[in-house]
Amino acid sequence: MRAMNRYLYDGTADGLLSAIAWILEEEPDPLLVALSEREDTLFEDGFFIGTDATQAESLFFRLRKQAPDAAHTIYSFMLAEKEGMETSLLHYISLVFKHGDKVNGYLTHSAVLDIVSIAKKAGRELHRMKGLLRFEKLRDGAYLAKMEPDHNIIHPLAYHFRTRLRAQHWFLYDVKRRTAARWSNGSLQFGTIEQFTTPALSDDEKKVQAMWQTFFKTIAIPDRKNARLQKSNMPMKYWKYLTEKQGE
Amino acid sequence: MDTLAKLQILSGAARYDASCASSGSKREAPSSGTGNTSQSGICHSWSDDGRCISLLKILLSNDCRYDCAYCVNRSTNAVERASFTAREVVDLTLDFYRRNYIEGLFLSSAVMQSPDVTMERMVRVVESLRTEEHFGGYIHLKIIPGCSSELVRKAGLYADRISVNIELPSQVSLQRLAPQKHKDSILEPMALIGREIHSSLVERKADRRAPRFAPAGQSTQMIIGASPENDFQILRLSQGLYKKMNLKRVYYSAYVPVSADNRLPVLAAPPLLREHRLYQADWLLRFYGFSAEEILSDDLPNLDETFDPKTAWALRHPEFFPVEINRADYLTLLRVPGIGVTSAKRIIAARRFSAITPEGMKKIGVVMKRAKYFITSSGRGFERADRTPALIRQQLLLGDGIVAPPPRQLVFPGLYA
Ligand code: SF4
Repeated sequence: MRAMNRYLYDGTADGLLSAIAWILEEEPDPLLVALSEREDTLFEDGFFIGTDATQAESLFFRLRKQAPDAAHTIYSFMLAEKEGMETSLLHYISLVFKHGDKVNGYLTHSAVLDIVSIAKKAGRELHRMKGLLRFEKLRDGAYLAKMEPDHNIIHPLAYHFRTRLRAQHWFLYDVKRRTAARWSNGSLQFGTIEQFTTPALSDDEKKVQAMWQTFFKTIAIPDRKNARLQKSNMPMKYWKYLTEKQGE
Repeated sequence: MDTLAKLQILSGAARYDASCASSGSKREAPSSGTGNTSQSGICHSWSDDGRCISLLKILLSNDCRYDCAYCVNRSTNAVERASFTAREVVDLTLDFYRRNYIEGLFLSSAVMQSPDVTMERMVRVVESLRTEEHFGGYIHLKIIPGCSSELVRKAGLYADRISVNIELPSQVSLQRLAPQKHKDSILEPMALIGREIHSSLVERKADRRAPRFAPAGQSTQMIIGASPENDFQILRLSQGLYKKMNLKRVYYSAYVPVSADNRLPVLAAPPLLREHRLYQADWLLRFYGFSAEEILSDDLPNLDETFDPKTAWALRHPEFFPVEINRADYLTLLRVPGIGVTSAKRIIAARRFSAITPEGMKKIGVVMKRAKYFITSSGRGFERADRTPALIRQQLLLGDGIVAPPPRQLVFPGLYA
């Protein structure tokens, strides 16, 4: 086998996509090419490709047009913020342009398997958080939900609640990443929060929470207790912010 | 009585209802209100018995005039009684929904003064949620047998799913155990709902603005083990409900002894394994192209306890195997024990690119524990080819620890159906 050509990029998402666009353009067989993040060591071997945001954007635009399912897979893959997968992504995208959306079925190819399974995991957590997120009502009438998801899902999660809870003001706060989303007066904004102080709850909040806790307890069939099944469906790492699991 | 105390009584009384599905409906959020529904359904929590919590599942009242032998709420049982006001249910639903505890409301009720009075109050709750509060979340409404068809129609206009419980698998059992309910008062609204769903679909094809009728379809539930019917009778009944009544789901609920009525069998424990096997067989009816007559027969009227129904079928039909994974069509692949809908689709998608090898099967995530006895890949077997069904049976039982012990507690396989 021929030695692989090696390329480097600057570690940003835009850099990654524009490097891939460049390689697809210039390399006769992208499946024989490796791509990784530049680490600025003295003896790095590989050719550095500079970042070009318009290239990145146009690549994603073409993907969305030619293979919407695959584009969605790539979007979910990016939410995982997984390191060291650049070569797999490059090979995956090159296969997308060859086979279109069918490519997601090509799971016997290791690059496809890598990208699709990481994307699936991110998608699964996004779906889970749509259910497990808990809002608390604050004194000023707005609602706040805190979370610590494994994947960086605040954007798609906020889009979900923008339609669902459009009649109330709310905040999402990713405690680990210190990022926040805010929905008020019909507009959605994202930002980071340096110093977070928990605001006061509204007067009736504890009462509503007690109702939910009561419902949660009584709805279970006593003779069928099954803590293992409960934990496998709802892993303990999510319990920290679950109203019904406080004090356990 | 305050709302919290009522909630305790009226959610406790609703917990034996198996259905918590919130899927199958796509309702857009009303522009001025709260809530939408999700096509695939969302679980918001899992209760201590491991079941998905998706809906605020409550009775409007447990103050029942009827005396069904199998039910905690029967009039002759000494339990504490409570009834919600419409306002209480509306507020609970909205308070929970705004905090993302739930997908919506599942409202059922005991029979208060009369079926009509009860149903009218239930309809009033959902009418107020939809028209006054502009609530767009999921609503599942139970129909009280014997109520007027006008109320059934109204219910279908506000709810995503409506259901009439069939309760018991035969008319004889119904008469014995639930003497105030009649077969006709259950089947008539079912048929009416089926017709209304159908005509609303037709009308909406012509005009997108025509009103929806129960867009997530209708379901029903029956109690297993309180009466003597065998699994074959039950499966044939379900098959008829799916085919003739167009039901979306039949739920099975293992009878939990709640009274020492001498019309009821004495059970050491609820028949959970039987319930689990029925769900598996039901799954074969709906998604795998099996008929009830293939799964069971008059000579073999009950589901195997040791093997799931598909494995049991495969062991009875050695002539069907081995199945060649690189050629077999979708329905044939689905007949292989251990290959489900996801695996079958993956096999078909992957073999477009190249023939699938045994390693390839692992890569695409097909679990081979059971499947390996029943398939070949490009002519080569995964296990020695000379195995007789008897040997396979033994291997499956003892083999490399192959068959997982049957779950002690039930799992609802159809959550996202
Ligand atoms: S009508 Fe319903 S609530 Fe009343 S006793 Fe019968 S099953 Fe129970």
